[in-house]
Amino acid sequence: MLQTWRKYEHNATTWLLLLPAFASFFGLFAYPILVTLIQSFRPEGQADGFTFENYINFLSDPRGRDVIVLTFVLAIGTTFFSLLFSIPLALILRDKVRGHRFFRLLALIPLMVPGLIGALGLLLFFGSRGWFNLAAQALPFVTEPLTINYTLQGLMLFYVWLYFPYTALTTLSALEGLDRAVEEAGAVAGANPRQVLRYLIIPQIIPGVLAGSVLTFMTAFGAFSIPLITGGDYRPLSVQIYKEISSFIPAHWSAASAMAIVMGILQVAALTLYMRLLRQRQVR
Amino acid sequence: MKGNRWLFAIAMCVLFATMFVACAAPTPPPPQIVKETVVVQQTVAVPQTVVVQAPTKAPEPTTAPKPAITEIVMADSQSGANFQEYFQKVAIPAIKAATGISVKYLVTNEAEQLEKMKAWKPGAGDVHLYFSKNMAAAVSSGVPFEVLDTTKVPNLAKNDPVELKSAANVDLKGAGAVFWRSSYALVYNSTKVSKPPLSWKEWYDRREEFKGHIGLIRPDAKSSSAWRQRLVFLHAFLGDKMTKPIAELQNDPAFKDAWAKLIDFTSYAKKPLASEPVNLFEDFNAGDTWISLYAQDYTMWSARQGTLPPTMKSVYPTEGADIVEASYMAIPANISDDYKAAAFKVLNYLLSDDSQMRLVSTMFQYPGTNVDPNLIPALVWEYIPKMDALKKTAMPRERQRQDLINYIASKAAELTPK
Repeated sequence: MLQTWRKYEHNATTWLLLLPAFASFFGLFAYPILVTLIQSFRPEGQADGFTFENYINFLSDPRGRDVIVLTFVLAIGTTFFSLLFSIPLALILRDKVRGHRFFRLLALIPLMVPGLIGALGLLLFFGSRGWFNLAAQALPFVTEPLTINYTLQGLMLFYVWLYFPYTALTTLSALEGLDRAVEEAGAVAGANPRQVLRYLIIPQIIPGVLAGSVLTFMTAFGAFSIPLITGGDYRPLSVQIYKEISSFIPAHWSAASAMAIVMGILQVAALTLYMRLLRQRQVR
Repeated sequence: MKGNRWLFAIAMCVLFATMFVACAAPTPPPPQIVKETVVVQQTVAVPQTVVVQAPTKAPEPTTAPKPAITEIVMADSQSGANFQEYFQKVAIPAIKAATGISVKYLVTNEAEQLEKMKAWKPGAGDVHLYFSKNMAAAVSSGVPFEVLDTTKVPNLAKNDPVELKSAANVDLKGAGAVFWRSSYALVYNSTKVSKPPLSWKEWYDRREEFKGHIGLIRPDAKSSSAWRQRLVFLHAFLGDKMTKPIAELQNDPAFKDAWAKLIDFTSYAKKPLASEPVNLFEDFNAGDTWISLYAQDYTMWSARQGTLPPTMKSVYPTEGADIVEASYMAIPANISDDYKAAAFKVLNYLLSDDSQMRLVSTMFQYPGTNVDPNLIPALVWEYIPKMDALKKTAMPRERQRQDLINYIASKAAELTPK
């Protein structure tokens, strides 16, 4: 009897201690998602009823599918180019070259500047009369201002600028945790620098790089300020959702909710697939 | 170990009990026992010990005059960043100089502010002057506002009685005073456009001349320019037919023609269309956009601030650029009489010629009163059309229809040339 009471008491204390966490999870995460999910099945402008129309309208519209493709292109492209840029940068910075602290700080700037301010700055910098074009036109082979703003390439560039620090910082942190003796041993064993990088360094930093790339992918998938201001005609899912709410009076909450649910499902599916692929690769 | 747990439990109970007591509503102050005033005992023969409630204990001075109110709170849900700065840097110091009253300036959201005002008890309101984003909605919300007249605010006589009577077909019940009037206009960079079009029809006919340099905001943008630019275009070509019900209007050949013209005109715009006003401004600065329909006051103010070319000018097309939007100030009824008197004084100054001239000459915003245009520096009229032009060309308010605005938003893809 006493044992049962103690067990009960122990369980009750555990549940009591977990209560704030559960309440926060439910109130701040589960409840809003549930409300969005319910709203996505409501006929537009109605407080009750059930319909798949919002999903059908969005997914059957070729423009809706284009928006999804664009969102993936931007997220995957950003992750790829961030990796391409971050690994060499981290390799340089770990050697503590002259001014490395300044460059580390510089790499953090996109995270410190609010997205909207960053977007405006980039727009001005790469504009036809911006500093970039002023400098470019000093070159003999550049006669016309280069068009970067409002192009897909330009948008990708802005995304990489804003989101590469996630990959760069985790890569740098993984690199700095490596034991240099391993590289020296490799070199003594006759491996050239390229082989040391390929067979010794990269396999060891992969977990850090991948963690950073997941962060970059997720944030790029949900990016809003940059595509809203600098995207021109390239408008990913987040901007389309915003449009449904801001352009109409009354707002199209049901359509926007359906889009948000689709976005969430795609994001989770992409992340699951990515993690599974990585796990398989690591097992191999 | 077991003992510790019990001790911990008891300590937690004590802690929670203490917190509970601390958080409980304060009890009313106990009656105070006053043992004094022999005079009272002698004259009215009441018992020597008198029990009185604390709030009534202190006798109110009967002779000392009440100090005049020297500070009021003004809440503003109407102004954008430019006018928020204007109030703080220009208008409020001027009010202080003219009336001796300081104004605490509070930027607010209309829906939120109205809810707060509804909860006020009589005499307890803490916002004394309110600059409303939508006076018709504010009055309709049921918030009680002071009925204004010339005995309270003499300069109210300078407002247009028609505008004082109603806004958006809602009877204002004397609650509002018009502080300013605003409108959109054709705004253009005078170094790029030496002869601006004077009508929409002229602009449409001359579209080839402006190819790739017409500034249009995306029809699905958040900014109201997204629909204003298209709505006024349709108004210019449809005229009175704009009042037809939307279903009927869509089948009208005149509407089909106007819509086709709008799509054609859009194809002459600078591409891609500006996502939001900030992109439109940047396009003007880059020299890519030469002419657009946009808020006149904000354009001219921005040109002076250096965020648009200093050579920006504006003109009203003969068919109209927008409705004339009168913006109202009001005094909540649920504030104390002392504050009301101070708020009347401040409002009276804001409607004075001095204040209204500052408004137009600093901000290029049209006065809300009938101030003589000749009193206003001539330089102002070099940048913006005179007030009578605004009145003559304004689009009738009933043509600013929500169903047509939503129709425009729903056709965003059609109106966004690639």
